Amino acid sequence: MSLILNLFYIDRLAGIMISLVAFIGILILIFARRYMDGDAKHGSFTLKLLSLVCVLAMLVSANHLLVFFVAWGVSNFLLVKLMIHKSHWKQAYRSGSMAGRNFFLGLIFLGCAFFCLYQVSGETSIQSILKISSSDLRIYFSAMFLIAAAMTQSAIWPFHRWLLSSLNSPTPVSALMHAGLVNGGGFLLARFAPLFLERPSLLNLVFTLGILTAFLGTLWKLMQPDVKKMLACSTMGQMGFMMAQCGLGLFAAAITHLCWHGLFKAYLFLSSPSAAQEKKYPFPVSKTWTGFLFSLFGGAAGAASFVFASHTPFSFDSTLILVCVAFIAGTQLSMVLLQNCLKNFPKAIAVSTLLGGCYGLNILVAEKFLAPLSLFQPQPMNPFYLVGLFVLIVSWLWILRKSATQHEEPSTFWLRSYVANINASQPAAETITNFRNDYQYK
Amino acid sequence: MTNHTNHMNSSHHFSTDHIWSKVPPFWPLRNLIAVNPLLGFDALPFDTALQQGHHYFQKKNIPEKMGIVNQVTIKWLQLFLDQGQATIKMPLRDHGFLKAICQLLPFDKKVIPTTQNSFFSTLPTAPEEIIEKSLAFLKISSEAHEEFLTLMLTTLPGWASYINYLNYWKNDQHVPREIDIPKDEYLAFRLLLTCLLWPEAKELFLWGQHESCSKEAEQTLQRVKTNEKNYRDNLVKKLSMQKEQEKLSPEAQLVFCIDVRSEPFRRALELQGNYETFGFAGFFGIPLSIENSLNGEHYSSCPVLLKAKHRITEFPTSQHQAWKEGYQKLSLFKKLYQSVKYSFTSPFALVETLGSLTGFWMFLKTFFPDVAHYLKKHSTGLFEVSSPIATIIDSISFEDKCNYAAGALRMIGLTQHFAPLVIFCGHGSETQNNTYASALECGACGGRPGAPNARALAAILNEPSVRKELLSQNITIPETTYFLGAQHNTTTDEVVIYEHHLPEIFSHHLPTLKRDLQLARAKNAQWRCEQLGRKYSLEKAPIHAILRSRDWAQVRPEWGLARNAAMVIGPRWLTKNLNLEGRTFLHSYNYKEDEKGALLTGILTAPLIVGYWINMQYFFSTLDNVAYGAGSKVTKNITGKMGVMQGNSSDLMNGLPLQSVYKNDKEPYHELLRLLAVVHAPQEIIDRIVQQTPILKKLFGNEWIKLVCMNPSNNKPYLLKKDFSWEAL
Repeated sequence: MSLILNLFYIDRLAGIMISLVAFIGILILIFARRYMDGDAKHGSFTLKLLSLVCVLAMLVSANHLLVFFVAWGVSNFLLVKLMIHKSHWKQAYRSGSMAGRNFFLGLIFLGCAFFCLYQVSGETSIQSILKISSSDLRIYFSAMFLIAAAMTQSAIWPFHRWLLSSLNSPTPVSALMHAGLVNGGGFLLARFAPLFLERPSLLNLVFTLGILTAFLGTLWKLMQPDVKKMLACSTMGQMGFMMAQCGLGLFAAAITHLCWHGLFKAYLFLSSPSAAQEKKYPFPVSKTWTGFLFSLFGGAAGAASFVFASHTPFSFDSTLILVCVAFIAGTQLSMVLLQNCLKNFPKAIAVSTLLGGCYGLNILVAEKFLAPLSLFQPQPMNPFYLVGLFVLIVSWLWILRKSATQHEEPSTFWLRSYVANINASQPAAETITNFRNDYQYK
Repeated sequence: MTNHTNHMNSSHHFSTDHIWSKVPPFWPLRNLIAVNPLLGFDALPFDTALQQGHHYFQKKNIPEKMGIVNQVTIKWLQLFLDQGQATIKMPLRDHGFLKAICQLLPFDKKVIPTTQNSFFSTLPTAPEEIIEKSLAFLKISSEAHEEFLTLMLTTLPGWASYINYLNYWKNDQHVPREIDIPKDEYLAFRLLLTCLLWPEAKELFLWGQHESCSKEAEQTLQRVKTNEKNYRDNLVKKLSMQKEQEKLSPEAQLVFCIDVRSEPFRRALELQGNYETFGFAGFFGIPLSIENSLNGEHYSSCPVLLKAKHRITEFPTSQHQAWKEGYQKLSLFKKLYQSVKYSFTSPFALVETLGSLTGFWMFLKTFFPDVAHYLKKHSTGLFEVSSPIATIIDSISFEDKCNYAAGALRMIGLTQHFAPLVIFCGHGSETQNNTYASALECGACGGRPGAPNARALAAILNEPSVRKELLSQNITIPETTYFLGAQHNTTTDEVVIYEHHLPEIFSHHLPTLKRDLQLARAKNAQWRCEQLGRKYSLEKAPIHAILRSRDWAQVRPEWGLARNAAMVIGPRWLTKNLNLEGRTFLHSYNYKEDEKGALLTGILTAPLIVGYWINMQYFFSTLDNVAYGAGSKVTKNITGKMGVMQGNSSDLMNGLPLQSVYKNDKEPYHELLRLLAVVHAPQEIIDRIVQQTPILKKLFGNEWIKLVCMNPSNNKPYLLKKDFSWEAL
């Protein structure tokens, strides 16, 4: 009995993840009972989904390297099986096998990482391995492999193609994937956080790749003409931001992010059939500079309330990135209210304070809850973070400018970039149903 | 149909209109209109058209290179035709389709990999010239032009159907240039891509001419004929046994839409008391355009074959200001949400702020749809169906009002014996998270709910001046009669009566009627639940129906018009004692009031045609749900807020989804048969009308619709054969 218990380690991180997986899993199960009523494979779908939830629970509480490795592989295998729900539809099959190849690569990375760790420590228990402090180069390598494995799982550039090609899956599977399995990368990094916190250069690497993915994912999301591809690109961006938070040393923030994003995205996928009825409003454009300046005050209120609510002392370290995100979101909200008149200024302040406060509170709760694991360790500011900060701000300013000048003749540079980005965000050619009768619902 | 011109372009060996007629129109999701997928083939006999349809639309395994051309086509069409999904829109759209594409294509490395492409760099600008040059480049001989261009459309039929809609059918819908594609520009674009990606596209002929298995079509036809004969024999046998009964003066008269979903409800209501019911096209004969007083948007509420003539505004009488404020608050909230969601950097904060809330909301919607519904209703406090609503009909001239009033009453044969209450009952549906919601609305109202039209006609008929004018036309409406509008919710079977102007003296008639409507509701809901595979008691059935209408996971909130089979044009006594299982359109008609046959001509050329389109849509979506239907809802993906694709990207899936016509992946619910029109009128009149009306001659002669005449003199059935002779049944 104790042997079996040694295989698992249920700490607060595992607790959060199990709750998330169980909540989403059961919810989707019930949703699919009606949504997939009459579907020929509904029975096997339910079975696979239930097994997946169990395997995921094992994965997040695994303490033995082998258990972790096997659960990682099996859960991804089950996901691929779920993705290829309509197996006579060859494009769906190819989507699944494309994801399968990606996950297999990830499994190899994970295997290499675990092998190195075992070599160095002679331990199979993850908790024991994390306690060893050694400057052995092999640990450095294994951490690199862990990053690579996390990247394949969380669709971080350049391993994003499978996610953008995964929409031949049933809607509930997409919901599960975007709320659950794609978060695996963030969980993996958080689980092995001590390895990275000792090696700032690796944190910088994770951060850079994360920000790049966050930028690309968001840009592509804004360009997509269909709802599911928009959601997939959006997930890619959010995963990038989650990784970037890991790179900031703020693993606790990354964990909250993956939970809330998971719920949010699952909801958006399940409600995607209503996409045509949802009215899209034009992007708010401040007509005057004063309007924009006052909006910045709104943003400042959001940022201040974030700092206050999250109890992070306002200092020149990696938390500044989160403050900046709160600031931009607050400004964005204020711009809607101050678009036409400045009379709404108090309202703008109130709304962005509320947003910043909620956001900050989330971080605070996560930080406090995960405090025993010391997953919230702000890093001193460095050039990588500054560049990231720059990207977050400039990309946002760019969309403001773009919206304000949308009636102007576009530059050749923009035409070229537009087409290039559209092509880069297309699903893999072999997963597109070129010809109507290739589609099969069986 | 009306705007088709048979125009021959002098320099080409093809007629553009002829090519475009091969694909049917496809209406966008906001008002899905049922249409015969083989509309362009209806000048052919049905069996030949079935073969042709197989040839054009059901073939498998397209040449790989053509698949690549399709892929690029889909990509650009998605981008150009987007009606509001993307935040960063395709540049240059305001230049028009072809011009924008030609400026962007050089950057598309998937199409033009090298900077210099001799074909592209010497391209003319006019679409006709591009078509000509491309056909020459592909070495297509001039006799084969038409066939090749047709293949350009039918190899990607769904998207072509939408372009067909834009060019021939959008009617008075305003489509801005940014999202409109002229037909020639589309053909030029397809050919241009083909030249660039598959210069040997001539090979497409081999695939196109490849004989597809025609046995399949033959087998289908046999199956259809057996179904039809069984159904017809059964129906006419029952009909011929009916006798005209003496009319007791009814407590109320209710006019329902001809929709097949009205039949079981009318039957259930008639069982509750002395009620007389009628069937009439759900737009009640008034071609309206309805303006929403909250946001100023408007839409046509009439059959798509007509043009809306009068714009009317509707608003709640009592709390207009409160509604307006509520609406503005709601839009502000949505604007705030979207501004943070569709931007850079801010979405990262949004998900953390709203994540827990959406999790909770999702939990409620999945486990307690009812609670979620109430929460939503009370938090927005908006759009209560039963709120008092004022209809301003001043835009309709007095002359028109009188014409609509007299026309409607004559059409259904209600010109005397008026009951104290006459209710015009339109219909609408209520579903959640349903892409195909508008397909469940009233087809006669252009895929919208019918209540505004019902209210408008009731208001017209209550006007003293109109009644006075009708008096001179021999229609005497007593002062003891009042007209009301109502709406039948086909998902929950609830009937809402718009009673707010009802004078005191009439109000004592209402309680009994309302009670009986409740009883009818329970009865009909019970029967409908059974059709959906659920057995419930009379008390539980309406609750289950409501639950279905509020459930965001529900893919079969109701069966819609599935299993539709016939349209009975005649008096109610002919069908009153029969259980027609919700399979028949019922149009009231009294041949005695129609000596010249003008009314019957009207019915046969308008409601019957709508019924025929609906019937054919269900027919073909059931026959082959991939080629003619939209496929399973489980993997759908909405593009551009206008249409549905499957998965990552695909053809635009026009037609009905699998779940609307199939019980499960294997068993169809809808039965394959052509619409049977049963007309209670002398053969001679029908003969004359059919011979004089080209469209009827075409449809009956080619057997797209079958017609049985119930001869009023002996109440015996006669079948109209394709050579227009009669066969006694």
